[in-house]
Amino acid sequence: MKNGAWVVFRKEMSHFIGDKRLLFTAVIMPGLLIYILYTVMGMAMSAMMTEEVKSFKAAAVNMPQYIEEMLAQSEFEVQHISSDETEKIKQGVADGDYSILAVFPDDFENALDEYVSKLGADEVPNVEIYYNSADINSSQAYMKLVSTLDVLEDSLSNVFDINNSGKEESYDLATSEDTAGSILGSILPILLMTLMYTSCASLAPESIAGEKERGTICALLITPVPRSQIILGKLMALSLMALLGGISSFVGIFLSVPTLMSSVDIEGGSIGNISADVYKISDYIKLMLLIITAVMLLITLISILSTIAKSVKEASTLVMPLMMTVMLASFMSINVTPKDVSAASLCIPIYGTVIGFTEIFTFSVQAGHLLIAAGTNIVLSGVGIFVLTKLFNNEKVMFNG
Amino acid sequence: MNNNEIIKVENITKSFRLSAKQRKVRKLTESRIIAVNGLSFSAFEGEIFGLLGPNGAGKTTTLRVLSTILKPDGGNAYIDGKSVIGEPFEVRRRIGFLTSEVKLEEFFTPDYLFDFFCNMHGVDDEKRISRKQELFERFGIDKFAFTKVADLSTGMKQKVSLVTAVAHDPKVVIFDEPTNGLDVITAKVVTDFLTQLRMQGKTVIISTHIFSLIEKVCDRVGIINDGKMVMCGELSELTKSESLEDLFFRLYNEKGGETQ
Ligand SMILES: Nc1ncnc2c1ncn2[C@@H]1O[C@H](COP(=O)(O)OP(=O)(O)O)[C@@H](O)[C@H]1O
Ligand SMILES: [Mg+2]
Repeated sequence: MKNGAWVVFRKEMSHFIGDKRLLFTAVIMPGLLIYILYTVMGMAMSAMMTEEVKSFKAAAVNMPQYIEEMLAQSEFEVQHISSDETEKIKQGVADGDYSILAVFPDDFENALDEYVSKLGADEVPNVEIYYNSADINSSQAYMKLVSTLDVLEDSLSNVFDINNSGKEESYDLATSEDTAGSILGSILPILLMTLMYTSCASLAPESIAGEKERGTICALLITPVPRSQIILGKLMALSLMALLGGISSFVGIFLSVPTLMSSVDIEGGSIGNISADVYKISDYIKLMLLIITAVMLLITLISILSTIAKSVKEASTLVMPLMMTVMLASFMSINVTPKDVSAASLCIPIYGTVIGFTEIFTFSVQAGHLLIAAGTNIVLSGVGIFVLTKLFNNEKVMFNG
Repeated sequence: MNNNEIIKVENITKSFRLSAKQRKVRKLTESRIIAVNGLSFSAFEGEIFGLLGPNGAGKTTTLRVLSTILKPDGGNAYIDGKSVIGEPFEVRRRIGFLTSEVKLEEFFTPDYLFDFFCNMHGVDDEKRISRKQELFERFGIDKFAFTKVADLSTGMKQKVSLVTAVAHDPKVVIFDEPTNGLDVITAKVVTDFLTQLRMQGKTVIISTHIFSLIEKVCDRVGIINDGKMVMCGELSELTKSESLEDLFFRLYNEKGGETQ
């Protein structure tokens, strides 16, 4: 006798593959949607860059008094440091503790005077400004400082350079990871969860409540195949389809990333050369682990509700509270710094998964966190499958009792 | 026909809990309704047994218990010696269950559905292929084997429904209200199907409220009312002195049965 689960699985799959509408809503649409959303978001973000931010914490080496006074008008608070502290401050800029670091040459004013009097010596005084393009505050401080110095330079008839030391070193202290992380980590986790939910919710009610509604499930249930195998076959097919939806979302994201990144141009340099390849294979594997387990959980939960429902319509009503819960759990993760999250709160289904997504996108993965989130998904799916089997064996539930 | 008891029903009872809404609709105060109340009968190999009774008599419930869809509260029933309670999987291998309502997944073709149900029942490939060819030819489905069910005529859908229900060649066919709501031509297809099954030595049990159907196809009949067997026997014996219809109404009035 052929394995019943395999027989059911094949039937379910040939249904899904053959149904163009289903294939579109479950697999193609998520990717398309995310591509459009992210491309639009990329445009919106360049607008955001020009927004005013209140104050900047700058560190400076040898900054002349009159420049500091000019900057004070733009809400700069300057901390004078010695030149051996620069490495530490650079880290501070990268970490977001400082907005910016400006390094003026020793004896900047004399150098200027000398340069002016010689009328073009070979030593052009150079001002070095370190900033972090992934940090809005830092980017704005950079733009402000550069424009302030430009004004000054014009009045002195072009006598010094900014960030023109000829050094290999980059003045932008943001790593490409920072940049990708700050853009992808902000909303992508929620978006991904929402799209995964949408995929799942478009599949399970049709497959279970639909068969109940049309009465075709009866013929299935009086075959000698155990109901647990019937459930397994259905869940496998549903999860695979939802997973394809998740992958489609992914393809959508990574196709839109170049457009998204190139829109984030800031004065003094574009970061348009950044792409999604800042993520390593291991990041994708971790992401897949979370997506697979989360899809399993979502499919199981929606299947339970679809089994209780007598029709597809009733099922779509019953899943509404679940949708709200998923949304809520996702949005709860906004403004949460993964570092501060307790292990216990990662056991909250959906929420833990979204936090896990955030950690992956912002390069702050804590393996323990991901395992807790994925483990929670797996355990709950297991419980769900148990409940589902009970429901399938309940004549009241299955036969309209 | 011989005396081999293939279907044996022993004192089964089945009641349903009524929801508040159902109670209101039926104007009942009790929380449960007894659908089948201590029912016993037997059907023998190679015969067509008819359960005759008015709406709500408990026919569908009885057939659902026999098909392992519902578990009886009390009593037991056996198909080919296998208990519906103790060995439901063995019972399921031996039965085909049908109703007059066609319930097929419209998305698939007859060919696909036939294979699907064969595989669900563990029919081996050789048997599946020969059986499919024979049944499809007999019912004229072969021309439409690869047309989606959704695009078939009502009659053809009904034929596909019959054929897929017996794809695994069951010993017993359980058919709830076989001709209910069917047009005359489709009804004829169904009755011919039933008599063909008898010719093949299958045991068939049907339920109906239509006297003429019983008279046309059944060998034996059990008249039930209010979940109880009122009379059971050979059709030819029971209708020696009066028509089936007269018998039914005489019994019905004697028992003080009330119309719903
Ligand atoms: N799932 C159920 N819930 C509540 N009452 C039911 C259910 N199924 C059947 N009944 C009731 O049990 C009685 C017998 O029903 P049924 O077996 O369908 O009768 P028949 O098929 O002879 O018309 C009826 O009163 C019916 O309303
Ligand atoms: Mg009935």
